[in-house]
Amino acid sequence: MKVNGGIGGAAPVAWLAIAGLIVIVAIPFIAVALQGIFPYLGQGSFAGPFSSFIATLGDGALIGMAANTVLLGGCVVLASALIAVPLGVFRALYRIPLAPVWDVLLLVPFMIPPYIATLGWIMTLQPRGYLQQLAGFNLAPFLFSLFGMTLVMTFNTFPVVYFAVSRTVEAVGARYADVGRVFGATPARAFWRITLPLSAPGLAASLMLVFAAAIEEYGTPAALGRRAGFQVLVTGIDLRITDWPIDLPGAALLSILLVAMSLVTFLAQRWILARRSYQTVGGKPTAKDKRPLGALKIPVMIAFAVVAFLATGVPLLAILSTALSRTISGGLALDNISFDNFESVFSNSAGALVALANSFSLGIGTALITGLIGVMAAYTVVKTKIPGRMTIDIMTILPNALPGIVVAVGLILAWNMPWLPATPYNTAFILLLAYCCILLPQPVRYTTAAFQQIGDNLEAAARVFGASSFTAFRRILLPLVFPSLASAMLLVFALASRELVASVVVAPVGMQTIATFIWRQFEQGSIGLGMAMAFIAILITTLLPLLLLTLLRRSGLVAE
Amino acid sequence: MLKLLKSITFGVVATALTAGVAHADITVYTAGPQSLIDKLSAGFTKETGIKVNVFQATTGKVMARIEAEASNPVVDVLISASWDTATDFAKRGWLLAYTSPNAAKVPDFLKTDTAVAQGISALGIAWNTKSGTPKPSEWADLTKSEYKDLVNIPDPAQSGSAFELDAALANQDEFKLFKDLKANGAIIAGANAEALNPVLQGAKAAVFGAVDYITFAAKAKGESVDVIFPVSGTVIAPRPAMVLNWSKHQDEARKFIDYMLSDEGQKMVADTKLMPARTDIPADRPLISDLKLLKYDTTDVYGKRKETLAEITKIYGGK
Repeated sequence: MKVNGGIGGAAPVAWLAIAGLIVIVAIPFIAVALQGIFPYLGQGSFAGPFSSFIATLGDGALIGMAANTVLLGGCVVLASALIAVPLGVFRALYRIPLAPVWDVLLLVPFMIPPYIATLGWIMTLQPRGYLQQLAGFNLAPFLFSLFGMTLVMTFNTFPVVYFAVSRTVEAVGARYADVGRVFGATPARAFWRITLPLSAPGLAASLMLVFAAAIEEYGTPAALGRRAGFQVLVTGIDLRITDWPIDLPGAALLSILLVAMSLVTFLAQRWILARRSYQTVGGKPTAKDKRPLGALKIPVMIAFAVVAFLATGVPLLAILSTALSRTISGGLALDNISFDNFESVFSNSAGALVALANSFSLGIGTALITGLIGVMAAYTVVKTKIPGRMTIDIMTILPNALPGIVVAVGLILAWNMPWLPATPYNTAFILLLAYCCILLPQPVRYTTAAFQQIGDNLEAAARVFGASSFTAFRRILLPLVFPSLASAMLLVFALASRELVASVVVAPVGMQTIATFIWRQFEQGSIGLGMAMAFIAILITTLLPLLLLTLLRRSGLVAE
Repeated sequence: MLKLLKSITFGVVATALTAGVAHADITVYTAGPQSLIDKLSAGFTKETGIKVNVFQATTGKVMARIEAEASNPVVDVLISASWDTATDFAKRGWLLAYTSPNAAKVPDFLKTDTAVAQGISALGIAWNTKSGTPKPSEWADLTKSEYKDLVNIPDPAQSGSAFELDAALANQDEFKLFKDLKANGAIIAGANAEALNPVLQGAKAAVFGAVDYITFAAKAKGESVDVIFPVSGTVIAPRPAMVLNWSKHQDEARKFIDYMLSDEGQKMVADTKLMPARTDIPADRPLISDLKLLKYDTTDVYGKRKETLAEITKIYGGK
């Protein structure tokens, strides 16, 4: 049973969330939709509405691209679940030796930009790549295929599922399963019928994020898929935008198709979750004691080690060896080792240090803004009965599958209109808007799942004792969702500081970010310098959040 | 270190506050290389006091930005990597007519009323000298069995210069060369830099139609790679520089073109291993006069662009 959240008290939160969503999501999205309908919008004209529908939707390749997109998304979701769910469950319920170390190692793939990881895999597995130089054989045929693409993308995205599962299963705890055991269920039965279903919000939300990320990802399908003749919608969209004559309306229409796919999975997830209650966090204290692994210790440790090596070790080693090579053609040889590339970065050549500073400031800004708007939107959707909260929920999901390059075009169309008295366009703020738009779904999905597990009676109890709705939110609900919110914000920080596709198009003149810096080095053939920059960025994006979390833990804000 | 941090912080704030405000500054959109535009704008500012705001990306991404900005454009000078841009923009009436006094030594086919070349790249075979394959001298050599599965072709849909080469060669023999290459295991592999990378590591032996200056730069860094210009002919890709007619800083923009074509500016072009547009500037690399160029009609080639790309996709498309 849900208690009415008190519209009077909750309204300011809702209004703030709506205002933020309109600026960050609705404006660029409407610009993209209008561009799809009015092909000459860029020139400020509304002539010829719907004239590009037939040419775009009648394209014979479209069905193939759409089918490939769904196929790839499905494969990545399946593979991520297969790898991450068992690991996450073990992490949550059992005492895993070196647990914090595994957490860090499985966090790193987040921090490796997908296009860098893909390049690392190519340089490792292709003929005469690092694997062949070390072991004498290569695995190129596996890499340039649907299988290879799925694997590379899975290693990049499965941490989303791993952390969501380990956290939600931990929150559900062993208590409910223990009740089942008391009533005679076997351990397996108690897990399948009680623990796993109760963890469904986190699991479903994370799988949906993985699906959206997979169908929106550009770098990996572009690098691996084209060679296998595997075209997806995003590569089609990119081609329409960057191939002269540019077809913005066509790209806009294909993007809307992509967004529709992600919306369908979102509605399916909502439908599954709406059928029952997942409230497990009540007022009662829960014992968080974990069980020993027993005989499973060795196999579980091997599983953690193998996954960590493939997801973190291989790409990082490939990046590092490339960055430390004087020449690529010199290969792995002692006399080919050189620190020139790192020296170039630290001597600020080509603006490397400024790019780092730019990206990290933007990353922090994006994390703060999306965290704030995200928690307000999630609260409004889950805990209030305000009419139109479904619209808010849908708005938070729209950017999920909107390709970065389309967000960029939408932002230019919206913010570069001549009659605007002031505009963030061509300032750093346009990048902030772009990152917020692309990454807002992360904090919203994480905190929504957290709110869904909090019993309404907690807030109600606070209200009974005279707390205002705002006080109840601040003193009761916010601390309870804070762990989820904090990890989502750290994730946003990492993703924002490496975002490439939108940055390349929308960056203000003269401004470089980490990703555009790396990309320009690659374009000019300076792969080593690009990789050195990537390695430094990965190191900082991993260490900075860890430091923050440690500090938060010391101050008692985050438990565990 | 502290000083560096301070200057970075200041830089970030300054960029955030002033990036949108243009005093007498000019805004240049350019397709790489970044080092060239950095040197050009620094030299230009030093000489004239006019600041240059630079946006650098690939030709495709630069065009996407201009197209999206069309209702309120900010770009004053555009340097593209594809001459086709200059033709198309002139047709749309977006360009300002200007002939720089410094363009006198630029050959006629590298300038029009509204555009002039900054520099020129040519396409050749990029070949890994340690690949264990014989040195190729002709495009058709790459169809020989020694190069089985060892040839990368830059994607003509993503690279304008690759498209011109492919179209010109396909015109000569009705795509026979491309069918032979495919039969020999050649693949289409991304844009220019992406096609070159596997050749550096040795996964592939050669790029069929690599952009020369990127390869020359890699060679200068010590990579075991070389560029071969086939004697049967190749194509060049002049990089047109244009002043946009909506520019509010037309005088400054013209001065930038003048500087780009000055002795100093053209020397910078030569230093990045591009051919300078002016014939009287020396360069440490083969020049246009050393190359044999394929004969083809540009208008005809671009008129059939869609069909040509479709045919190549058909040959190399899905397995």
